[in-house]
Amino acid sequence: MAKVSQIPNLDNSPLNLRSLREQSQRELVNILKNVRGKKCLVIDPKLSGSLSLIIQTSVLMEYGVELRHLSADPLETDISKIVYLVRSQFELMKFISSQVHNDISKGLQREYHVYFVPRREVVCEKVLEEEKVHHLMTIGEYPLYMVPFDEDVISFELDCVNKEFQVDGDTSSLWHIAKAIHKLESFSGLIPNVRAKGRCSVRVADILTRMQTEEPVNSHDMGIPEINTVILLDREVDMVTPMCSQLTYEGLIDEFFHINNGSVELDASILGAQQQEGKKMKHPLNSSDKLFKETRDLNFEVVVQVLRQKATSMKEDYAEMTSTNQSVSELKDFVKKLNSLPEMTRHINLAQHLTTFTSKQSFLARLNMEHTIVEAESYDICFEHIEELIHKQEPLISVLRLLILFSVTNSGLPKKHFDYLRRELLHSYGFEHIATLNNLEKAGLLRKQESKSNWLTIKRALQLVVEDTDTANPNDISYVFSGYAPLSIRLVHHAIRSGWRPMEEILRLLPGPHSETKRGGFPHSASSESMSVAGGRVADGRRSLVLVVFIGGVTFAEIAALRFLSAQEGMAYDVMVATTKMISGNSLTESYVEKLG
Amino acid sequence: MANVSVAAEWQLLINRYYRKPEIYQMRWKHIDLSRNKIACAPFGGPIAVIRDDSKIVQLYSESALRKLRIFNSAGVLLSETVWKHPGGRLIGMSWTEDQTLICIVQDGTIYRYNIHGECLDPNYSMGKECFEQNVIECVFWANGVVCLTEAGKLFCVMDFKEIKSFKLGDVGIEAEEELPHCMAVIDPQYIASGNVRVLLGIGEGIVIVDEDEVTHIEGEKVQGPVQKISVTRDGNWLACFMHDGRLVVMNMNFEALFQYQCESALPPEQMVWCAMDSVLLYWDDMLLLVGPSSEDSVRYIYDEPVFLIAECDGVRILSNTSMEFLQMVPDSTVSIFKIGSTSPASLLFDALDHFDRRSAKADENLRLIKSALPEAVEACIDAAGHEFDASRQQTLLRAASYGQAFSSNFERERIQEMSKTLRVLNAVRNPEIGIPLSIQQYKTLTAPVLIARLINAHQHLLSLRISEYLGMNQEVVIMHWACAKITASSAFQDAALLEILLDKLRLCKGISYAAVAAHADKSGRRKLAAMLVEHEPRSSKQVPLLLSIGEEDTALMKAIESGDTDLVYLVLFHIWQKRPALEFFGTIQARPLARDMFITYARCYKHEFLKDFFLSTGQLQEVAFLLWKESWERGRNPMASKGSPLHGPRIKLIEKSHNLFAETKENTFESKAAEEHAKLLRIQHELEVATKQAIFVDSSISDTIRTCIVLGNDKFASKVKTEFKVSEKRWYWLKVFALATVRNWDALEKFSREKRPPVGYRPFVEACIEADEKGEALKYIPKLADPGERAEAYARVGMAKEAADAASQAKDGELLGRLRMSFAQNTAASSLFDTLRDRLSFQGVP
Repeated sequence: MAKVSQIPNLDNSPLNLRSLREQSQRELVNILKNVRGKKCLVIDPKLSGSLSLIIQTSVLMEYGVELRHLSADPLETDISKIVYLVRSQFELMKFISSQVHNDISKGLQREYHVYFVPRREVVCEKVLEEEKVHHLMTIGEYPLYMVPFDEDVISFELDCVNKEFQVDGDTSSLWHIAKAIHKLESFSGLIPNVRAKGRCSVRVADILTRMQTEEPVNSHDMGIPEINTVILLDREVDMVTPMCSQLTYEGLIDEFFHINNGSVELDASILGAQQQEGKKMKHPLNSSDKLFKETRDLNFEVVVQVLRQKATSMKEDYAEMTSTNQSVSELKDFVKKLNSLPEMTRHINLAQHLTTFTSKQSFLARLNMEHTIVEAESYDICFEHIEELIHKQEPLISVLRLLILFSVTNSGLPKKHFDYLRRELLHSYGFEHIATLNNLEKAGLLRKQESKSNWLTIKRALQLVVEDTDTANPNDISYVFSGYAPLSIRLVHHAIRSGWRPMEEILRLLPGPHSETKRGGFPHSASSESMSVAGGRVADGRRSLVLVVFIGGVTFAEIAALRFLSAQEGMAYDVMVATTKMISGNSLTESYVEKLG
Repeated sequence: MANVSVAAEWQLLINRYYRKPEIYQMRWKHIDLSRNKIACAPFGGPIAVIRDDSKIVQLYSESALRKLRIFNSAGVLLSETVWKHPGGRLIGMSWTEDQTLICIVQDGTIYRYNIHGECLDPNYSMGKECFEQNVIECVFWANGVVCLTEAGKLFCVMDFKEIKSFKLGDVGIEAEEELPHCMAVIDPQYIASGNVRVLLGIGEGIVIVDEDEVTHIEGEKVQGPVQKISVTRDGNWLACFMHDGRLVVMNMNFEALFQYQCESALPPEQMVWCAMDSVLLYWDDMLLLVGPSSEDSVRYIYDEPVFLIAECDGVRILSNTSMEFLQMVPDSTVSIFKIGSTSPASLLFDALDHFDRRSAKADENLRLIKSALPEAVEACIDAAGHEFDASRQQTLLRAASYGQAFSSNFERERIQEMSKTLRVLNAVRNPEIGIPLSIQQYKTLTAPVLIARLINAHQHLLSLRISEYLGMNQEVVIMHWACAKITASSAFQDAALLEILLDKLRLCKGISYAAVAAHADKSGRRKLAAMLVEHEPRSSKQVPLLLSIGEEDTALMKAIESGDTDLVYLVLFHIWQKRPALEFFGTIQARPLARDMFITYARCYKHEFLKDFFLSTGQLQEVAFLLWKESWERGRNPMASKGSPLHGPRIKLIEKSHNLFAETKENTFESKAAEEHAKLLRIQHELEVATKQAIFVDSSISDTIRTCIVLGNDKFASKVKTEFKVSEKRWYWLKVFALATVRNWDALEKFSREKRPPVGYRPFVEACIEADEKGEALKYIPKLADPGERAEAYARVGMAKEAADAASQAKDGELLGRLRMSFAQNTAASSLFDTLRDRLSFQGVP
């Protein structure tokens, strides 16, 4: 049985992501080699997820590594060389300091190395200095700016870009994003067209230009750049889409069971494994799994049918096999098919498990409500529904998610309702959530209405709500939400097809500025006005590439819609997605939650 | 013939030829080597000369003060300086790899000079023991030294870049007579352990000192006493001059390879290896070249003192008047110029001669060597490389080029390459530059190192040209030039100097203006530094420098522009440390990014300071939030929570927060919330006292009500409800669910009858269904007003028929479809829904 690895196979990637990953592997191995002998590698838990997509744990072991996760607790190990691998975050600095202090108090003399990911930062070292441990550390960097999640998906693994930018005014991530794109350019050549929409995106485009003047990517050695256009899009521009429940297979798995670093963790029994009850099992979800590649982006309704068909046809084959005499080659074919049986069983089990959630009345009611809100034609019904959810003390995140959707589509709530719902929230969930409410207000996600909403205009102009969506044979991206076409992807589609110019009026209705830049001097590239169909070919016949960067995260459903677009006839480009993080409405909402208590 | 005259200058040693062409006539005047101490760097390096204070010399018309003079290899004076260091006699003097002159005096002090005769700070010492014992001898290798003291102790510096002296293993010398006759070291890079190895001629034998380990080699193997030792560069061979005039060459296991009986039993003044294959010995007015494995030798007579400089491929012989280079004649040269040679290369060379004289013999020669032509061409090119004489180089290259014309399969770039190399070599051999590198030395040294040496000697133009010519990065050269220019141009105005500098710096893309600016700052030209740093495109270089020259505000601006928050923090911490708080607040308040980054940091680390900031900038609501947050921290801290006063300080904080909120117009909501929070805590506290259960504090209002009801304390529940004006709607949901939690169905029913529930009977139905009490649910389902809701409720308790009835009442086709789905297992029920749906669609109702 061919087990699907959590490290995705990148051979079919339109960009050379493999060499990117290999570089990251090498860099990590070099760090381990630099510290001779046995060492205890203490990893920031968030990073260990990223690393699991870069390198096998067994490889780390070869370099005499004992693995630990960094936490506030003292470090229990006999090894005297400690290597910390951490993101540049205050909290983690405190953990390190407390571990070191603990060692000192026990009289342990250890050798400490701190490797910052992706780079050392003054502010973190300052914390180490204030904690009086800085002089004990050898400090280094592990420049991991991005992690390939799949053939066509890269993540910068930045957790709360939106919250940090909107609420704290912290723009650290923007520099990181620009640096990552700039690094990508050093592999693939200077990207000639840059289109950006949203405050963050425009800033990233600026920083990218600065980086090019500071440390130019030499475009002359590389010939035609592999990436023709980068489209930068702020999550802030479209907060509606992530708040809607995703209805693709992968999207639903994420909504209900959470996909972390390309794999989902479930009870072993659900995945059909013969193991003891209650044991959790990781199931990788990436395009190396052929059946998953085929089904991940379909509307879940259809997935059930597809799986059923596959099972039936296999059953028929089997019947045929037992009844008639078969040639050897036919037998071989059959055996080959049988090989995919375990995969199929797993997906059938997974889909079945998922159905028990999707058929719940509460879920259907929720979908119904989301559609009503997006339609934006029955304010009172929506308001009362949300009010009731609060009174029933439904889980806070799911309530906030609907409330954000409601507020965003209405450009905020009338003051009376705004104050009323906030009060009800505080009464029901506790006053500690005042900070959450404050964050949401600062971010503009839950706020007082100040002007009339332009959502209806946007919805109409971009045809966001599509009647009669055929989920089985879709002809529009709206299939991913059974009738709602994600705003973000509509924008990307326009940007690819004709640039920003023809749609400036609509763009102005959406948050943040937009920009369009042309860089370098490439005689072959298409004019900035439109990238014509012919313009998008690289010499060897492959389609050239559009890199879509989501600043603030992207959902699986949106990626599905992009893949759908890319597969359409007349589409001149391959699409590659880069995101600061894979998100769902829940995780995005959670990033704003801050309990005072 | 020309060929003959060339070979006439050669000497035969066994089967090899040696030659020693004169490279330079020394340009210096009145330098007598015998009166001076000399240090001469290999690879055609500079010569340091200082009057030898261990000899008694007559002073002519000169000052009694000693001068240290530095010449290039052609005797052109580079610099001079007066020597007036204390510490006794100068014992050892040698050049390091990066051309620093190391001088070690009797008391073990190490003085360092650069090629410009400037003494480098600081001075180092070989250590206290050396100081007390006096150094009597120093033996250097490329980057280190071993010193011998009067007490017979050995001290070592491994690397002059990082001078740390340590003591080597003790040989156990007790009396002056036991001091070694001679000493040699092997460069640590050729020893496996990486430690230096010292060889001492002591008594009858040899002593090896390896850091701590001391080994004595005596008796049969070494029939000493050994008077002089010399080691090959790679540390593989040893030449020992014995007390009886024997020269013995041996390997490192002290197995003799051959010996040569010299005429004199007096040890030679100098003894060096000539490359790896012969040994050169010098006695007053005679040089003796002894070849390997035979008794043959070559003798040269000098009527003036000479100084021998070992190179990797020969020996340079410095005398008062000339610089010669003794080397084995290269094979290619031999094949061409050897008398009577008929090698293809020789014939080719001859052919060119005939060709020049328009003789038909040229063609004849070519025919003779037809098949060996490429080999002949190669030999001519190679031989050209070994020549110091430019016209002979040309002739040889012309011969190669001539041969190449008739040869189809030859790498044509070879001639080009060689011409290029020779142009570089000839340029640096020019007496004004005075670096007489042979081609092999050049290849060993490498072009970048040569350029670094030229720069070091301030030959910027030449090094720029060479690096340009060789297609190398010119950044190093221009950068060094710019820094040297700044140092040398104290008379220039800033603006004028800036123009001169920019003019050249522009030549090199990506050059670090910041580094030049840093140098300007170090040279005390802060204004020039500021002007230069303005041109630096890389913010990461620019910003730190701006800080170091005190331009904080510009630094902050540039950091913010760059978008690199790390730089912003760098500046921020710098200013924070330097300026008083209020001024600091003013600076950052004007710059949103700096302000926000400061707040982010301070939130985690400097709470009180952050409060000051918010207060000073009038952001009262932020202070209020901070106080409110603190109130929870108080709550969590067990130290602060003792008995009833526990909530006192906490509530006070919240009230303070409430008041602060109240001071701004925009925060009435928060103000009200804080007020309610304080009130809630008080009530919860009362509840805990009354119920003697610590379960209320820090739960929400709704949870408090639920808990009261669950505990059966309706009075308190109602009190909380009234205190906080909880709406009837919420009250019903809370109470219903709370009663269902404790399964108090009677109370629930009673509650449903109190009055008509403001939210209908849905809460009752839902609570019962969730508690899995079908019977209880059925009490309320019929009371649901909306038939659709009723249908769903019936469906949820599994009553298909009733659900169908209600659904048909609702006339909702979609609902029917959904219900059918949920009854899919039940055939009877699903057919029921099918019928109903058919009927509906028949009626034309959607």
